[in-house]
Amino acid sequence: MSAATREAPLAPRAGKGTGHALELRALSKRYGAFTAVDAVSLRVERGQFLTLLGPSGSGKTTILMAIAGFVAPSEGAVLLDGRDITALPPERRAFGMVFQGYALFPHMTVAENVAFPLRVRRLSRAEREAKVRAALDLVQLDRFADRRPAQLSGGQQQRVALARALVFDPDLLLLDEPLSALDKKLRAELQEELKALHRRVGRTFVNVTHDQEEALSLSDQVAILNHGRLVQMGAPAALYERPRTRFVADFLGTSNFLRGTVQEAGDPGLALQAGGTRLLQAGADLPPGSPVLLSLRPEKIALLGEAERAANEVAGTIAAWAYLGAGYSLTVRTADLGALRVALPAWRAPIAPSEGLPVRLGWAADAAVPVLEDADAA
Amino acid sequence: MNGGHPAGPLARFLAWGTVFYLLLPITIVIPVSLTDQRYLSLPQEGLSLQHYARLLGSEAWLSAIGQSLWIALGATAVSVVAGTLCAIGCWRIGRRSSELVRVLMLLPLIIPSIVYAIGLYRWFGWLDLLDRLLGVTLAHGVTGIPYVVITVSTALAAFDPRLEQAARGMGASLGQTLRWVILPRIMPGILSGAIFAFIHSWDELVMVLFIASRQVVTLPRKIWDGINENLDPTMAAVAVLLILFTVLLLALDGAVRSRAGR
Ligand SMILES: Nc1ncnc2c1ncn2[C@@H]1O[C@H](COP(=O)(O)OP(=O)(O)O)[C@@H](O)[C@H]1O
Ligand SMILES: [Mg+2]
Repeated sequence: MSAATREAPLAPRAGKGTGHALELRALSKRYGAFTAVDAVSLRVERGQFLTLLGPSGSGKTTILMAIAGFVAPSEGAVLLDGRDITALPPERRAFGMVFQGYALFPHMTVAENVAFPLRVRRLSRAEREAKVRAALDLVQLDRFADRRPAQLSGGQQQRVALARALVFDPDLLLLDEPLSALDKKLRAELQEELKALHRRVGRTFVNVTHDQEEALSLSDQVAILNHGRLVQMGAPAALYERPRTRFVADFLGTSNFLRGTVQEAGDPGLALQAGGTRLLQAGADLPPGSPVLLSLRPEKIALLGEAERAANEVAGTIAAWAYLGAGYSLTVRTADLGALRVALPAWRAPIAPSEGLPVRLGWAADAAVPVLEDADAA
Repeated sequence: MNGGHPAGPLARFLAWGTVFYLLLPITIVIPVSLTDQRYLSLPQEGLSLQHYARLLGSEAWLSAIGQSLWIALGATAVSVVAGTLCAIGCWRIGRRSSELVRVLMLLPLIIPSIVYAIGLYRWFGWLDLLDRLLGVTLAHGVTGIPYVVITVSTALAAFDPRLEQAARGMGASLGQTLRWVILPRIMPGILSGAIFAFIHSWDELVMVLFIASRQVVTLPRKIWDGINENLDPTMAAVAVLLILFTVLLLALDGAVRSRAGR
């Protein structure tokens, strides 16, 4: 890092590529016989926003703590810009960190909290004050400098934690469920702020969450974790559209799962047999006789009118339905494919849903994606 | 207790009876200290402050008060430093072994002080610490450690360990984290422990009887000698001052705690 970037910490940086690249190599953490993190390898490019997404207990916090230096890995390495920092203690890494619950110092004012990392670095008072002011401006809390954390709302505390984590120009910003303690509306607001902040400071962010919406909306890259393993990593749209395993398809959004057997591998795609229904699936190349598991998103299924045709068609009856404002969520019982979840836009819906109503469902050959069972993927 | 049933008459009677029983010996000292007689007795014809005046004019009593004060201050310093470091160390390690250390540190509180005093007598004989201010200060300081360990451990139990992580994650060294984050948060616990350690030394008698004789005469020791030798009502005046001083310290402790609670 050059001296120039050290001096102007919160000045907008020229686009991406000014942060630092982080790499985990086969990182594992065991507690006795229990493996909390299992050989996770991943790489975050400079200035990128990576989110670790997984259910509770999947090892997200442990990975973040290993990056910060609070957890010593059982195996594997942490690299920053290609340099091995696995043995460095946390105070020598000094990554900015926003903890779950923020961990603000209750006996200090907002300004003192934000000044803490600068005090540690023995900056002069004038320098400290200028940087604290800039950081509080950045998160729009300049008017609250003299308050104590206990006198702030949850969202304000969260922003103090962000300012404190950013004020000393850390190489990396680590966030552990930074928004999970907030109510839904505030969460959405702060999500946007966080995204704008990331764009403005151009630093590398590693975020942890169990909220898939947050992961999709904030991140350049999402790493999906389950039982301490990295299941799949990629851009949000790539993960959503092309989940590799059943777990990913299920955890990211909702999905129907269809089982079938390959009948023939033809030109438009595979012809599958699922019970008495024949399905057409594009884009996969498997020999006849192979079992296939398909993930089909509810919003990719259409209700077919009398004369409408689709590559895949199935008849059923509505078993349950719910009105969600923007749309309906239908559960349609079919003879061969079990219950299918269908998302139907409410605006000018072709039908008025009611229980027992017979419907015909259709979807294109490229609507579904073949996925692996998670046991096979391991 | 809010919203519960009010206490019945029997419970009230028992509670007040217990309080009365506890305070009775203390209440008797106050009139005795104001007696107009020349021996230890209740006032006969009127109240008098003569014994307080005698106390403040007496070289021997004032010297005992001074010695007690210095010993208590020194002992408090020893207890606070050792007790706080021990509590923080145990808290940081947080293992079974530290649990053992904590129990060991509480031993002086559990062992009868006369047993402890006999042991001390042997050791201090070898170390040439008998009948010396340093010896008494050390003895009181060491036996005061449990009070500090208890109050500081309690304060640490309420301390969010993520604050320490946060400080270190921002680059703070162990010393900086201790000074700027941990100590300010547990200061009420330390103060509370200091007050108890001070009181412990201030009214300790058994150990002093063993390890001090002529050079070091603390206030409790002087009272003890006074009761054995002559029944001078000055002692009652001293006792009242002792009580007032202790009550003052406890009030201070209460103030510290209520400020910390806010
Ligand atoms: N210090 C520890 N000792 C034993 N087990 C732990 C420890 N820390 C975490 N674990 C276990 O490791 C697993 C992953 O924990 P964590 O990383 O906190 O998950 P997440 O943040 O994804 O919810 C959990 O099952 C948890 O119980
Ligand atoms: Mg967690």
